[in-house]
Amino acid sequence: MTQNDPAPASPSETGAVRARSARDLLGRLSLGRYTGVLVALAVVCVYLSITQEVFLTWDNLMNIVKANTVIFVLAVGATFVIIAAGIDLSTASATAASAMILGLTLQAGWGIALVLIVTILFGVALGLLNGFMITKLKISFLVVTLGTLSIYQSFALVVNGGATISLFGKPGFGVIADFVNTKVGPFPLLLVFNVLLLLAAGGVLRYTGYGRALFAVGSNPEAARLNGINVGRVVLIAYTIAGLCAGIASIVQVGRLTGASAQSDPTLLLTVIAAVLIGGTAYTGGEGGVLGTVIGVIFLGVVQNGLTLSDVSAFWQGTVSGAILISAVGLGVLRERGGSLRLRRAARSPAAGPATAPGSTA
Amino acid sequence: MSLTSEEERVTEQPNAGSTPLVRAHGITKRFPGVVALDGVGIAIHAGTVHALTGENGSGKSTLANVIGGALQPDGGHLEVDGQRRTIATPAEALGLGIVTISQELTLAPTLSVAENVFLGRLPRRRGRIDWNELHERAREVLDGLGVHVDVRRRVGELSVELQQEVEIARAVSSQARLLILDEATSSLSEAATERLLAVVERERARGAAILMISHRMPELYAAASQATVLRDGRHVADVPLPDTAEPALVRLMVGRELGDYYRKRRVEPGETVLEVDGLTTPGGELRPTSLTVRRGEIVGVAGLVGSGKAEFGMALGGAIPSSGAVRVLGREVRLDGPRSALGGGIGFVPDDRKRAALLPTRSVAENFAVAWTDQLTRRGILDARGERKRVAEAIDRYGVVTASPQSRITTLSGGNQQKVVLGRVFARGLDVLVLSEPTRGVDVGAKSQIYQLMQDHAAEGAGIVIISSELPELLGIADRILVFFRGAIHGEFDAAGLEEEEVAHVAVSGTPRGAAA
Repeated sequence: MTQNDPAPASPSETGAVRARSARDLLGRLSLGRYTGVLVALAVVCVYLSITQEVFLTWDNLMNIVKANTVIFVLAVGATFVIIAAGIDLSTASATAASAMILGLTLQAGWGIALVLIVTILFGVALGLLNGFMITKLKISFLVVTLGTLSIYQSFALVVNGGATISLFGKPGFGVIADFVNTKVGPFPLLLVFNVLLLLAAGGVLRYTGYGRALFAVGSNPEAARLNGINVGRVVLIAYTIAGLCAGIASIVQVGRLTGASAQSDPTLLLTVIAAVLIGGTAYTGGEGGVLGTVIGVIFLGVVQNGLTLSDVSAFWQGTVSGAILISAVGLGVLRERGGSLRLRRAARSPAAGPATAPGSTA
Repeated sequence: MSLTSEEERVTEQPNAGSTPLVRAHGITKRFPGVVALDGVGIAIHAGTVHALTGENGSGKSTLANVIGGALQPDGGHLEVDGQRRTIATPAEALGLGIVTISQELTLAPTLSVAENVFLGRLPRRRGRIDWNELHERAREVLDGLGVHVDVRRRVGELSVELQQEVEIARAVSSQARLLILDEATSSLSEAATERLLAVVERERARGAAILMISHRMPELYAAASQATVLRDGRHVADVPLPDTAEPALVRLMVGRELGDYYRKRRVEPGETVLEVDGLTTPGGELRPTSLTVRRGEIVGVAGLVGSGKAEFGMALGGAIPSSGAVRVLGREVRLDGPRSALGGGIGFVPDDRKRAALLPTRSVAENFAVAWTDQLTRRGILDARGERKRVAEAIDRYGVVTASPQSRITTLSGGNQQKVVLGRVFARGLDVLVLSEPTRGVDVGAKSQIYQLMQDHAAEGAGIVIISSELPELLGIADRILVFFRGAIHGEFDAAGLEEEEVAHVAVSGTPRGAAA
């Protein structure tokens, strides 16, 4: 309001200037896609480190990592599917089904290497089946994965009459137990594994033709098709990757539970998808990435840890995760709206835009 | 009347003296970082067609949105019937009799044609919808527009053009006092545009005012009696039409001479690059069609909507299933999809940029590179450095104005988006380019750049097929023009000295002018 006021440095003007520079700062910060979630995460961490002395201990932090590895592995797969503008509702069920295959084969005395390969391939097959029905039979991904959510879960119950398979002390289980419990120096092996998974998935998304094609298909399938991309194949692979991740996640889960549970954790699916969306991957497809997914998983993991440490009833955790999901995605939408409008105006009117007049540069 | 200065404002108006129906005074509208309108004024009189023109980004749609209640100005005010007032919402504008038809369709796709025409004001009897009355009245309105469509059909099943006509029918049936046509003709064929212009004339004669926003010079000249020109959010001139010559008007819009708009340069055609033999679609939209194109040649394809011209382009590009034989430099091209077409040397740019060409959530760089994925990857790994280099070259060569290669494609103007969409296909170095409506929704400045690029690529040896609904464009750019009628080629002309009427006659009737009907 005082922008044109010639009087220098009147109190109201310095106030306005300060407000404006604060706004500029916020504007610059919000250019980073993850700023909102990171700031919220930092606030939660500071709060917890003050109120809960256990929170900032190394053991507790590493516990968060271990407790959220299953979620992270599944969320990486879900990121691929959601970038392709789809969703895989069957992911938790596929994990339970794969875990039962692992349990049954190990119980039957198969060699551990064969057991792990069969488990992972089984997960891959479940993902392929989803992808096949979606791309070849052209059934909506919602219908297909809602159906297989139920089918894969039912399969997990049927194969062993609904009973959990305890694997503690079984020959070969030691390998799996080591995988989830071993430390590399001060770090749990699972943390190293998660970092490698992140690098691999991020590399595929960023530096391969497949990654580019995946974003293109999620952004506009018809445009992707007209540019020679095999849309069906790209989508099929995305669901297969989700299945692969379910297979891997089932191994981690079996290791942590020391057995194969026929009943999947009812909150697992929602947590996985919430983590991906909180991490800035758009449910409408065509944008996002695994770095955001990591942040989403950590955020939900830290909040859950904090609630547990604070002795808040587990019943409240759903409310908190849900509220976080809605605010994170909601704020993202709002920022998007403001940001793209601003950019569009600036680009359309180069005269009024930034001084670096593009197009004239070589 | 000759213009001595760009800034000269013609103050005399046909109805000077009488109170304008709507007058805008010093309207200023700011968006974060940009002044979209800077003290713009306009006076629109009842019983006139008033053109509002300027390049993309000049602020015409913003002004229309302010008048239509969709945006609130930051400065200045509006007057309706001489009374100062605010128009806070589109609903309020409707209440004042201000109706907007925009290029963005606002139809409910799952409802019927009739329901859409009378959306929000369905005729009722004793609290229930009177379906017979509704269908009868909808049919009346559509008949009046010369549109023949079953009013019970779901709008979502109709072609884009018919949908636009339903939108127009809705506006017309509302007895508007001010009808704002915001690029309403951009998805209409010539014939439909003519029908719309007839409607505009009827509405004008009834006493309504029409504010017509368009890039298309012929329509402006056909319909409007005056034009307000905007540039970079500022009022540049009010000029009478059609007394102001087209070059002068274009100069006002872009602020410089465009020279010869099409800059035609004859290229001596070389060897045959494309042979099409009996190309046809299973649905019969395209009947068996044959033609040859030589290197350096630009072949124009004209025809009404539904004539098969669009399907011809899509079939060549592998976008729709087809059969027949297509050869590039003598080598057979498989007709099983865009991938085969590209591999065989045919590049295709579809007519609907938003639906079929843009990756709206991705950067300018990725929108270029999506067409080069196979060339930029080895064993599946992307050559990131090579990509950056090629993108930078393409931005430069195709004159794309963008803040950065990493900017989202949707932050660019329509013309710059189109340059990306065309450039990515051009830059593959293909032998044949099939371009469907390559300048649709693009401002004059970008248009002339696009024509230049087409000619450059023809000169470099490509054979170009351009499918367009704009006859002046075809006559200006093409060497040879083919006219489709009911799925087949009914006329072929050398473009030199050709008159629009000759082409139009074949397009409408399937027979050459002067032939016995």
